[in-house]
Amino acid sequence: MTGDVKRRRFERLILPHLDAAYDLARWLMRDGAAAQEVVQEAYLRAFRYFDSFHGDEGRAWVLAIVRNTCFSALDREPPAGRFEEFDESLHCDGPEWVPGPESAAMTHETQTFVRDAVAALPEEFRETIVLRELHGLSYREIAAVTDAPIGTVMSRLARGRGMLAKALASRAKKE
Amino acid sequence: MDCTRTRQLLQAYVDHELEVSPALELEEHLRRCDACRARYHTFRQLRATVGAAIAFTPAPDALRRRIAQRLHTQEIRARPWWARRAALVAVPAVLALVAATLVLVPKSDDSLRGSPVEKIVYHINEGTDPATALRNVANHLQLTPGLKAVVVAHNKGVDFLLMGARDDDGQLFEDQVAALKARGVDFRVCGNTLSRRHIDPTRVIPEAKLVPSGVAEIGRLQTKEGYAYMRL
Ligand SMILES: [Zn+2]
Repeated sequence: MTGDVKRRRFERLILPHLDAAYDLARWLMRDGAAAQEVVQEAYLRAFRYFDSFHGDEGRAWVLAIVRNTCFSALDREPPAGRFEEFDESLHCDGPEWVPGPESAAMTHETQTFVRDAVAALPEEFRETIVLRELHGLSYREIAAVTDAPIGTVMSRLARGRGMLAKALASRAKKE
Repeated sequence: MDCTRTRQLLQAYVDHELEVSPALELEEHLRRCDACRARYHTFRQLRATVGAAIAFTPAPDALRRRIAQRLHTQEIRARPWWARRAALVAVPAVLALVAATLVLVPKSDDSLRGSPVEKIVYHINEGTDPATALRNVANHLQLTPGLKAVVVAHNKGVDFLLMGARDDDGQLFEDQVAALKARGVDFRVCGNTLSRRHIDPTRVIPEAKLVPSGVAEIGRLQTKEGYAYMRL
């Protein structure tokens, strides 16, 4: 690919996912300015390695690079997902939370509470929940982005939701 | 479909990930079973609550402009702040290639189970031809699935791990290192060598990690972690 063709193809396939990239980086870095730095670096990296991209799933491809760049910037290894089993016993019970009447029209306080609860999740649950609930990725796409088997994605979703439900339940009890 | 099976599949159903025929069976069960229907509503309510509380933040225009500009000027090799950190801090690689490979190639999760893992520390020293060495490591990986390989560079052997170093064919070593790193090979650079030769540690490519001493690292891997030694 010549430089110009490559750039135009990159602009068409990868640049449109910049919003998703930035949002994911914000959730992982928990800081807007750091997220900007990371996304810029990730995009330039993605451009360098663009020749190795042969597919049409540009979003999952670039989000995986953004995620790895985030953990690099945080000076941490990304959470590994390889050998975690899909544990059906965790799925059997579902969230232990009975939604109260207020959840029909959610108060501003509840919104803040839930947002903080998501931000406080350990990162493997946080990224999985954010990719699912905010970005609407399928299990298969989340598996590709987070480098984890689908079974792991499903148990992380179930456990992450369980943690959020627990937080909501204990808050409801206090009120 | 019974309650146990319904509970197992409920999350996938709520996430619209269930195939049509189990989804229809599950719906049939939900119509008949109050307990499972209650669980289903809880699940949906939780999704709605979380979905309504967390908001998507679009990228700032300034960021969009900066990236577009850098792509135009091809200024893509500058180093980010976290790679410019002080000397002798481990700098884990940005696994862009890993990401690329893993998105495209489905991997087997069980391939490593059951057999003992072979662990090798390769020593790249003065007199080693790095291009040949990298080729040998790649061949070894090919033949030994699950091989745990660490490359320790020391003395003149560190030069190929510096930014912009190229082999005789003009190919960037960094790209070759990134490709091996993507296959699980770790690269470590001797910090003593850098200070003795007055090489600024920020010149080391981000795929490689700095260790205080190459010799000590080789010794540690052999005695503490059971690595076999191989001089390349
Ligand atoms: Zn039931």
